[in-house]
Amino acid sequence: MNLRKYFTVFYKEAVDNLRDRRTLLTVLVFGPLFGPLFYTVMMSTVINRQVADLDQSYTLAVQGAEHAPGLMDYIRQHNMKIEAAPADPRAAVKTGKLDVVLVVPEGYAAAFAAGKPAAVQLIMDKSRDTAAKNIGRARGAVEDYARSVAVLRLLARGVDPRAVEPVVVENADVSTPQSRAVLLLGMMPYFLLFAAILGAFYLAIDSTAGERERGSLEPLLTTAVPRSTLVLGKLSAVTLFSAVSLFIDIAALLWCQRLIPAAKVGIAVDITPANALITFLVCLPFCLFIAGLLSVVASFTKSYKEAQTWLSFIMLVPLVPVMGLIMFPMEPAWWMMLLPSMSQDVLITSLIKGEDLKPLFVVLSVASTLVAGFGLTGLAVWLYRRERILG
Amino acid sequence: MIEVSDLQKNFGAVQAVQGVSFSAPDGRITGLLGPNGAGKSTTLRIVSTVLKPGAGTVRVDGADVTADGNRARMALGVLPHLSGLYPRLTARENIRYYGELNGISGEALKRRIAELVELLEIGEFADRPAKGFSQGQKIKVALARAMVHGPRNLVLDEPTNGLDVMATRALRTLIRKLRDAGHCVLFSSHVMQEVAALCDGIVIIAHGRIVARGTPDEIRAQAGESDLEEAFVKLCGTEVAA
Repeated sequence: MNLRKYFTVFYKEAVDNLRDRRTLLTVLVFGPLFGPLFYTVMMSTVINRQVADLDQSYTLAVQGAEHAPGLMDYIRQHNMKIEAAPADPRAAVKTGKLDVVLVVPEGYAAAFAAGKPAAVQLIMDKSRDTAAKNIGRARGAVEDYARSVAVLRLLARGVDPRAVEPVVVENADVSTPQSRAVLLLGMMPYFLLFAAILGAFYLAIDSTAGERERGSLEPLLTTAVPRSTLVLGKLSAVTLFSAVSLFIDIAALLWCQRLIPAAKVGIAVDITPANALITFLVCLPFCLFIAGLLSVVASFTKSYKEAQTWLSFIMLVPLVPVMGLIMFPMEPAWWMMLLPSMSQDVLITSLIKGEDLKPLFVVLSVASTLVAGFGLTGLAVWLYRRERILG
Repeated sequence: MIEVSDLQKNFGAVQAVQGVSFSAPDGRITGLLGPNGAGKSTTLRIVSTVLKPGAGTVRVDGADVTADGNRARMALGVLPHLSGLYPRLTARENIRYYGELNGISGEALKRRIAELVELLEIGEFADRPAKGFSQGQKIKVALARAMVHGPRNLVLDEPTNGLDVMATRALRTLIRKLRDAGHCVLFSSHVMQEVAALCDGIVIIAHGRIVARGTPDEIRAQAGESDLEEAFVKLCGTEVAA
């Protein structure tokens, strides 16, 4: 292979396509920034709303509040306000005007004073998911009150309150802040690979189907350049564009994670620059793979439009294993390393979790993806040696 | 010098070229004439090495296009049917790309491009992107690109297609200039007047076979017609000469 001619082809494809606004926007902006921005906005919104909900004081509608002043005091002390319930509380809950209404019947005070179980009623509509949180708060407040009264009564009778708590449940959460972050970051590998694919998309079409449609392929093939050199120069340019898009995506993610108020909900989203760099490196072979895949498919199509249609479909194929792992989470296994895109997905997820990468996994992933990439490159060279490439 | 001998090419069941032989000598303009679908383009595409011959041989300055493709390519300049310029590159960049692909670089390439820009009168639009070029400008740049590596043999596939009268005349003058400089020019056309006005030798092709060859006068004599167009129609067979 003539190195100078290889660089000539590579350089021409890169410069030529950098002048195309659509390609440029896709490689530098849409492809790499869509994921991080979408993710940041979504996460910030979700987290802020959760935090706001927790802090918000809730107004509980009560019917017959005058029968239970002690309970009302307790509720007020626990960051809730009390308001009088409407005349027909059932209708108000049924229509969704109120999430829940606490009804204190007239006999409550007498039963309470006599030390008998004093009944209160919670009117609720369990079929409404949005009401669940407020129902829980109302029930929790009443139960907490009941428990504290019970403790006082037992103490008054000289009984150790612990006697009525034979078993205590303690919640021991073993998830590290990072592993909780994985739930949030589950879509991140998807966005990274998507950026790599979009980066390659237009150049893969332009340098194959586009070249033929413009009528520039035929004269190009009359130059004294081996077809393998042509194909390698083109594929290298596509790979570069894909890698640039991926790099910007990772850099943007690194920057965007600081904008997410994750600490408010006790999550450490902490991708270190070192981990980001490793992420980029383990994904690089994927750039070659996707460049080969898209170029080979585009070489079969007859026009730019047809190539776009096909590639829009083909570009989803590498994302199938990624979606699969989101829907059916599995433990990382060595066989996953043999599948391009799935292997990168698993490795990126490990990195986000803050786990150490298994060297065997990395080697298998890089090797299998490169083999697939070189295989596709070979296929592209073979396609370009056939007469049918002229269409 | 381009020598085609007993060339054959099939596409599936279609026999596009069936035993075509001719030679286009240096310092002469050879016209390949025939109705649409006669096999002209296929023949030229085999000569320009993008298609492989089914049988027979093509030699360019002695180099066989199949066995010694790169040497043949270095001796050939090809102006394809469509100009095939890169719209986002300037005229100069389009020409430079082909120069580098054909192994010229640095000062030598710069000088060569300057020569061609002058010869083909490209200067005015040399540094504009090819996107907005007129058909005539495109043809000039594509021709400069085909000649950047100084090939002795030029293959032009219907070069005057889509050109206006002035541009056509300018191109003819240019092609004669190239002939006088000793180039072998092989070009195809389906327009009789075009070939009659320009060519030293004519090869008429129909149904993938050669039906006549010679100077314009010899062709007229061969058909027994004084009008070249009548001769063409008669030689090609009426059903294809519409």
